[in-house]
Amino acid sequence: MAFDPTILGIACNWCTYTGADLAGTTRIQYPHNVRVARVMCSSRINPAFIFRAFELGADGVLVGGCHPGDCHYSTGNLYARRRLAVTKKILDFAGIEPGRFKVTWISASEGHIFAETVKAFTEEVRSLGPQTKFAVTKGNDQ
Amino acid sequence: MVKKIEHDRIQEIIAALMEKGILYAPVEDEEGVNFHLVDDPARVTLDFYNTVQGPKCAFFPQTEELIRYRMTHEGADAAEVEPDESPQVLFGVRPCDVRSLAIMDELFCGGGIVDPYWKNRRDNTTIIAYAFDTVDTVDFYGSFGIGAADDTGADILMVKVDGDLLLDARTEKGTALLAALDGLDEAAAEDEKRFAAAVEGAGALETRRIDTDCVARDLPGIFDSEFWQTEAAPCLNCGVCTFVCPTCHCFDITDETLFSKGRRVKTWDSCMFTDFTLHASGHNPRTKKHQRLRQRVNHKFSYYVTNCDVISCVGCGRCTRFCPVNIDIAGIVERARKRASSQQINNQ
Amino acid sequence: MKGIEKRLREEAKKLLETGSVSAVLAFRDGYDGDHPVPFAARDVSDADAIVFNEYCTHNLARYVTEYEPGTKIAIAAKGADSRALVVLIQEEKVKRDDLVILGIPCSGMKDARRGTVIDEATTGNTVNPVIHDIMLADQLPEPDTSPYSVLTDLESRGHDARWKFWRKELSRCIRCYACRNACPLCYCDPCFVDQTEPRWADKSPSLESNLMFHLTRFYHLAGRCVDCGDCSRACPMNIPLYLFHKKVAKECEEMFGQTAGMDPEETPVMVDFKVEDSDEILL
Repeated sequence: MAFDPTILGIACNWCTYTGADLAGTTRIQYPHNVRVARVMCSSRINPAFIFRAFELGADGVLVGGCHPGDCHYSTGNLYARRRLAVTKKILDFAGIEPGRFKVTWISASEGHIFAETVKAFTEEVRSLGPQTKFAVTKGNDQ
Repeated sequence: MVKKIEHDRIQEIIAALMEKGILYAPVEDEEGVNFHLVDDPARVTLDFYNTVQGPKCAFFPQTEELIRYRMTHEGADAAEVEPDESPQVLFGVRPCDVRSLAIMDELFCGGGIVDPYWKNRRDNTTIIAYAFDTVDTVDFYGSFGIGAADDTGADILMVKVDGDLLLDARTEKGTALLAALDGLDEAAAEDEKRFAAAVEGAGALETRRIDTDCVARDLPGIFDSEFWQTEAAPCLNCGVCTFVCPTCHCFDITDETLFSKGRRVKTWDSCMFTDFTLHASGHNPRTKKHQRLRQRVNHKFSYYVTNCDVISCVGCGRCTRFCPVNIDIAGIVERARKRASSQQINNQ
Repeated sequence: MKGIEKRLREEAKKLLETGSVSAVLAFRDGYDGDHPVPFAARDVSDADAIVFNEYCTHNLARYVTEYEPGTKIAIAAKGADSRALVVLIQEEKVKRDDLVILGIPCSGMKDARRGTVIDEATTGNTVNPVIHDIMLADQLPEPDTSPYSVLTDLESRGHDARWKFWRKELSRCIRCYACRNACPLCYCDPCFVDQTEPRWADKSPSLESNLMFHLTRFYHLAGRCVDCGDCSRACPMNIPLYLFHKKVAKECEEMFGQTAGMDPEETPVMVDFKVEDSDEILL
């Protein structure tokens, strides 16, 4: 059976989450592998969430926020940009392949881009295989 | 009856011991020489003054599973993890560390309530002590009546002399183990003499000494003194001293659950941590570091004596060697004693 | 170094005599001369106990956050120590006016436990204090070495090799928290790792919970770590934490154009942003 990645998605409420919703309402097909969690702003994301996701067995993490300059709270995503950049460098240095963690800016009207991004990212993670480095004991029973 | 083996053939005896049970021995690793569960005889070494941590991990591991559980639709499905009863061998333990085990016995087996995790392993372990042949400037085990070649509590005493390891049983368990090990040569009369000479030589080694008379009685008298603030000023409140100490035994019990299954574990804790005495109500009686340092010193040198009739310190010097800011517990106890007696003189 | 010790004692005496500070943070002898202990001199008579030698490696900025805000403190500050003070000032944990910084240019410090000389491989290459009120010795020539050249080996390895390295190193961690407690910038109360709701990391030192602790801590020090190396020296298990902290520091410098702890007027990189920050790395 082909490997079916488990990917955590974190989407900001005003842009990416709404964009994902649009993809749904316009019936665009995209893979089921990204499980989306909603935050009010990408700056809500504590990098510890990303580390924890990999520790709990996520094969990939996809973060979506408003385009820089368009943050609903004006500057949230500008702080997030720096935080997530550092997070990416930390994961890379620790030995997690860069293809497993992606940050993307998707607006509320870009439903099709959300779908495309999920499709492409799922394939990338699928090609990298299961993430077994941080997830020493994948606790999920299912 | 002394047995011997060339030190260069140490791997043979290690391999033989591994067949007798779970073997804990000093292994060279990135942190230095430390007690590890041995899986490769080639990594065992006797080339050290003392190990990073004591051998308490053989009886009181840093993490011990107590219960494993899983949640099902019907409720929780939990099973106790049975205390281990496998035979164990502890190889290469310095005399001060051997003594630490007897001190911990008072806590884990004395007082009517027995900790089966500790006791089972203790009962099933054979201890091979390793005599010192030098002293360093930090140890003070002589203060507790422990000798450099002390065999109290050991099943076998081992000395390293001129490229040979000479082993002599001290208990029935030790005799049985030595008899069961192939590859050990019977010692000649010459070797018996060398063994005796080595033990005598070690007996002449002197560590620094602190005066332990009346410490237990006098420490409570300076409980409220500013002495503790001064002594605790450099302390970082990490937990290194407690984690390298062979007689520290505080532990915590927590549940580690992931999705629908988990385990209840006992893990080492440290009285130096800020939240060690944090109550569920939010109150914490020891918020200041001098309170915590005072507690550690009083516990080891006074309260443990009241409860178990022995000082809970063997003078191995590890806390001092590994303290990031070079705090010396022997110095603290000496100064405390002097402060206590000058206070008594002033009160008269 | 004897010259520095003499001047340190003189300045300490002056400051304590005039009562302009409540304490002078320096060192005294420990159980022997090679194992000094951080020491807060409070009386003029304490000043004679002050020592300074090549084993006085500890970052005394660590103790500044233990004092009530507003307390006037003098502090013997080597290069990295002074940078830590700058970060504390930037983060408003201490006011510049409450500090009398006794700058100590030095190199050739030694790690007594490991018997090694401390150089830019395991600590930064800040030999001269970046702020001071009084300099206790002449400035040293700026080194031409990079504090990041020690990273070349790990950086050149592939992800699997790097993971193998960090898995080996971080598995040894016994969660004694010496690293965190030795760090002058780990002053959070409570620390995230001590929280139970949410529980970020389990108490037992499994690889997974060690990863949570260390990676999150590396992140928390991004743009703040001043490369003093105290964390790695404090570690009883010889884990080369400085390698990861240096890597994060290097990346922050390259991405955001600022070095931690150089100018009290600057805003630390992680609480700032520029509209021109690059997206490249994220995508």
